[in-house]
Amino acid sequence: MELLVDIFGYLSIILHGVTIIAQSMMLGGILFLVFLARPFTHLITQGDDLERRVTRLTLYSAIGLILAEMTGVGLQIAVVMSTVDLGFLDVMQAPFAIAGTVKMLCALLLIPCLGQRVATRSLAAVLPLLIGAAELTAATFTTHAYARLDDNVLLLFVEGLHQFGAAIWVGAIPCFVLALGRLHDAHSWRLVGARFSRMSMIGVTSIVISGAVMSFFYIGNWQGFYGTAYGVMVGAKIAMFLALLALGAGNLMVTERLRKNQDASVIRMRRFAEVEIGIGFTLFFAAASLTSVPPAVDLSTDRVTLHEIAVRNAPAWPRLTSPDHDKLAISQMQARLDTQAQQRGQVAAQANVPGSGVLPPRNADDIAWSEYNHHWAGIFVLLIGFLALLHRAGVGWLKHWPLLFLLMAGFLLVRSDPEVWPMGNEGFWVAWRDVEVTQHRFFVALIMLFGLFEWAVRTGRLRSAKAALVFPLLVSVGGAMLLTHNHQISNVKDQLLIELTHTPLALAGVSAGWARWLELRLPGRGGRIAGWVWPICFMLVGVILLWYREA
Amino acid sequence: MSLRHHFGTFLIAAACTVASLSASAHAILIDSTPKLNDTVSAGHVDMVFTYNSKIDQHRSRIVLVKEDKSETVLTIAANNTKPNELDTHADLTPGTYTIRWQALALDGHITRGDVPFTVTP
Repeated sequence: MELLVDIFGYLSIILHGVTIIAQSMMLGGILFLVFLARPFTHLITQGDDLERRVTRLTLYSAIGLILAEMTGVGLQIAVVMSTVDLGFLDVMQAPFAIAGTVKMLCALLLIPCLGQRVATRSLAAVLPLLIGAAELTAATFTTHAYARLDDNVLLLFVEGLHQFGAAIWVGAIPCFVLALGRLHDAHSWRLVGARFSRMSMIGVTSIVISGAVMSFFYIGNWQGFYGTAYGVMVGAKIAMFLALLALGAGNLMVTERLRKNQDASVIRMRRFAEVEIGIGFTLFFAAASLTSVPPAVDLSTDRVTLHEIAVRNAPAWPRLTSPDHDKLAISQMQARLDTQAQQRGQVAAQANVPGSGVLPPRNADDIAWSEYNHHWAGIFVLLIGFLALLHRAGVGWLKHWPLLFLLMAGFLLVRSDPEVWPMGNEGFWVAWRDVEVTQHRFFVALIMLFGLFEWAVRTGRLRSAKAALVFPLLVSVGGAMLLTHNHQISNVKDQLLIELTHTPLALAGVSAGWARWLELRLPGRGGRIAGWVWPICFMLVGVILLWYREA
Repeated sequence: MSLRHHFGTFLIAAACTVASLSASAHAILIDSTPKLNDTVSAGHVDMVFTYNSKIDQHRSRIVLVKEDKSETVLTIAANNTKPNELDTHADLTPGTYTIRWQALALDGHITRGDVPFTVTP
């Protein structure tokens, strides 16, 4: 039962993130279609083609939503059925299952409504909007708002406004990128840019108003903001929101120049919009991970104080020597069990059973072990950033710097989970049942993948422009992963103090990834600046890792 | 590179790799009878578990774990007036016990936890 719930918890965040993306793209697509693509069909060149493509993207998003929702709700139903011994029909009557079913039905109904037959009738605009509103309403019933003890109606409305804002702005950006790619004249860019800017402003306003109200109800005060996991994650969301605003402001300036018939870089607008999609999707995953933590107002104890944060982050020399493996808590527990079993002539039990739901014990040496891992990882990343910077400055033979990623991945694979083979007693395959081990292995796989791709690109082994984009994409995904990564520590305060380090790490990683994307995709000065920014972001990641403390 | 390709790459990569562990509970136990590591007298014991969210009482579960690791599922009383509570009871003999609860919040999030306690004669 514990393993099932843990694995479900692990998967549900991924599925929830994908669901939010699909829902936002579907709703954003409907709004883009109704308020922009269709009204401008006869005003812009290739208007029909644009409408067709936006319709197709919206349909794909609806199908994506059906699949994500079906998988997520299906998993949830399976978990409740198997852990509470209830029948399928009984669990299907639970509010989450009803809300999920309504969302799927809405997405399903949307498909014929976007077809050619309906598109030419008077209901063409009304039906998709009504279906979108119904889907959005159902979506609010799977948020914190529905389970709160008070102010449910207000909070449900505010949650709806928040999700609407995300959809009309971030969810519609893919359609905007599509439009910029299909249109080729200043008149069309001017019309589409101006209308989308207005839609974005409505989205931003909705997000700011609803975000402020939710912060008041869910965070409550300043200490709830910096002293709880919920508050820290909201902080990460605000940082990404500000980055989106900055990119959006850049695009608004281009739109204004177009409006005044001045020269403007539409290619920059496209590239900025691409980065907005990436950061926006990362933000959606942060939003999904928020659902797994209680609102800050409910966590009256176990909050972290500013003094505790200052003490934890006081500068100290990095730990460059490792404690003995035999001194770790699980090693010592296993040694005791082995001795007792030997005395009784029995087979020794495992000190730690992966997936049992029991948190492993930790002692001072475990903390030292973890700090040593983080500090050496910091040295690796700092060096990678520095060498990338030197290579950018013209030191040609340093093009092999991505190979350092492979060295780092090997180090992390061996050291991250000392209770697992090759260092510990747990087998390599059985350890997949441990959620934290699985996450560490995903990180290792990611690091190896982007290291290899980047090395192959830098050394000319891969010449495809697509191959070059693998590195920034996976670095950004790694950053998003870090936003949702958790250490299995029973002490809530200690866990939060670690998260306070991981959140800036994640944001620096996401920034590095998308800056490299811009370097590759944006010609001229903007791309050159981005080329200096991302190695510096890597160095920043290295410095934060060297600063890392667990005690 | 087409937009759909960008999306495909990103979505597949994200779906395959972005992960989280919900070790931090969504619905948290804010009060309970018996409390954590509490001592109660043997006999009929009423138990109340209070949460920060409304709970789907019918689809939640409370299990009594004895010293010998044997488990007994306890019946949760339906209580519409207190939607954030799980109420149950048991007749207990002296010993150490653990209540293992699993709560389904009304918004669909599942959380679980343990409340160890001792029963004295």
